[in-house]
Amino acid sequence: MFNIENLTVRINDKYLIKGMTFTVPKGQITAIIGESGSGKSTTISALLGILPAQATLEGTIFFNGRDLIDLSRDERLALRKKHFFTIFQDATNSFSPTLKMKQQLYSLTALRLGHKNEAFLAKIKVILKDLNLSEDVLESYPFELSGGMLQRCMLACALYNEPDVLMADEPTSALDMLHQQEFIKRLKKLHTQLGTTVLLITHDLGVAASIADFILVMKNGEIVERGQVAEIFEQPKHLYTKRLVANHF
Amino acid sequence: MIAKWIGKRVIMGTIVLIIVSFLSFFIMHAAPGNPAAAYYGGNAQTLSTAEKERIEKAFGLDEPVLYQYGTWLREALQGNLGYSAKEGRPVAAILQERLPTTLQLVVLTLLIVAIASTWLGLLAGMKEGSIVDRVLSMFSIASSAIPPFWLGILFIMVFSVQLGWFPTSGMNDVRGEGGLVDRLYHIVLPLTVLVISHVGIFARFLQDSVKAENRSYYVQVAFANGVPEREIRTMVFRNAVIPYINYIGMTIPSFFGGSIVVETLFGWSGLGQLLVKSVMVKDFPVLMGAILIIGVVVVICLFMIDVLMICLNPRLRRGGIV
Repeated sequence: MFNIENLTVRINDKYLIKGMTFTVPKGQITAIIGESGSGKSTTISALLGILPAQATLEGTIFFNGRDLIDLSRDERLALRKKHFFTIFQDATNSFSPTLKMKQQLYSLTALRLGHKNEAFLAKIKVILKDLNLSEDVLESYPFELSGGMLQRCMLACALYNEPDVLMADEPTSALDMLHQQEFIKRLKKLHTQLGTTVLLITHDLGVAASIADFILVMKNGEIVERGQVAEIFEQPKHLYTKRLVANHF
Repeated sequence: MIAKWIGKRVIMGTIVLIIVSFLSFFIMHAAPGNPAAAYYGGNAQTLSTAEKERIEKAFGLDEPVLYQYGTWLREALQGNLGYSAKEGRPVAAILQERLPTTLQLVVLTLLIVAIASTWLGLLAGMKEGSIVDRVLSMFSIASSAIPPFWLGILFIMVFSVQLGWFPTSGMNDVRGEGGLVDRLYHIVLPLTVLVISHVGIFARFLQDSVKAENRSYYVQVAFANGVPEREIRTMVFRNAVIPYINYIGMTIPSFFGGSIVVETLFGWSGLGQLLVKSVMVKDFPVLMGAILIIGVVVVICLFMIDVLMICLNPRLRRGGIV
């Protein structure tokens, strides 16, 4: 699905990503793990085409055989609308504080897909119910909901959109243990039911181990190791991976 | 709940007005000179000490300042603002003549400043780093650094004396019949001075607010997820305008302050000009009345801004603050 070759991102002389080459296979869950500042989130930004204006991007990003590097701003937007959905780390700040959730969920789902309001309400209510969220959420403002509820709202958007690729940037790091497990369960369900390709960014090895098919280990903007979950956790080769695994278990 | 909030605001507004009037009254009496001078008029030199004492006794000026203030406050609360020491007419009648002309100037300025700064601030804030963004930043610094009196003198020299496009001062043409066109013709220069001295800083505030909002997390989330830019701009504007409106509310008194200078310079017979004249002749009843009426207008404006803030900010509505 994604074929990335020699991806380099720098701001002035500072390299955020150095010559990354990897693939995100269709219908699989790929996790990128590493410590803070290793370049995981920059990778997602590069794939989405939302890097800051001062960043320089080199290499190739092929999505379904099409190179995304030279796409115009509008073409990028169209691509994001049609194929991707991204869940970010900080659910509490992922929504505008002065708009009701109904309006915001509409913008993140039905507006992208061109659905009418009635169709949106009918579908989103079913999804919210499935995620153990009451319909009252729609009439609430973000500050009236907990972080866990807001992250489930983002997941509801992902379920509504049924994207080809779901990118999740540390989606569980702001959640407590109970909500983390619940979120992982829902993510797995989305992946199984719809066959969605998932690119998961996490520093939590437990999360990666519980859900991913394939793992990329990043350090200082480079991939230092890659492999199936079992390989990474049972026979890590790189010193950094060994340290990460040892620290986790 | 709302009635309780309004009641609280009315009590707070009344307390503010009492504090303002108290401070004004004592500052006036602490200034050099005799408060009875305005009652003497031009006869101060010819009056004997006994006659001066009689005047002071008649108007209660021989009483302690605190007692005088208490008397003034008691009468003011009953709607009696006293008589002008200079003109001998009721202060309320004088204020009734002057308040509408000041409000014409201030409200028109506020309206133009709000519209122009919103447009400029949005335009510059949405296009960070663009020429519009940089030009507005420079303009706001320049316009807020130019004193209104200097700008007014410059305008009179250029547009009235040299080009002859607008009158140097006044509110009506002495040869004409007045009317709206004549009033607009006279208001152009004072209005322009007030607008220029406020619009830059207001636009800059909104510009910064829009920029900060554009960097918000929710904007990145919406942008990354393909929400149309028009929709994102609406969200940004909605959130950026809340601190901007609050800022307008806080600076409303400065519009009245600015109008004092401009009214005096352009001979605009409003409250500002009245205040300056009353200070000159120590007409304390008029001064106190004018300060009180400006205070009331400011308190009402702030109340309206608070109501607007509650309408715009759900956190205030639903957060139990109201």
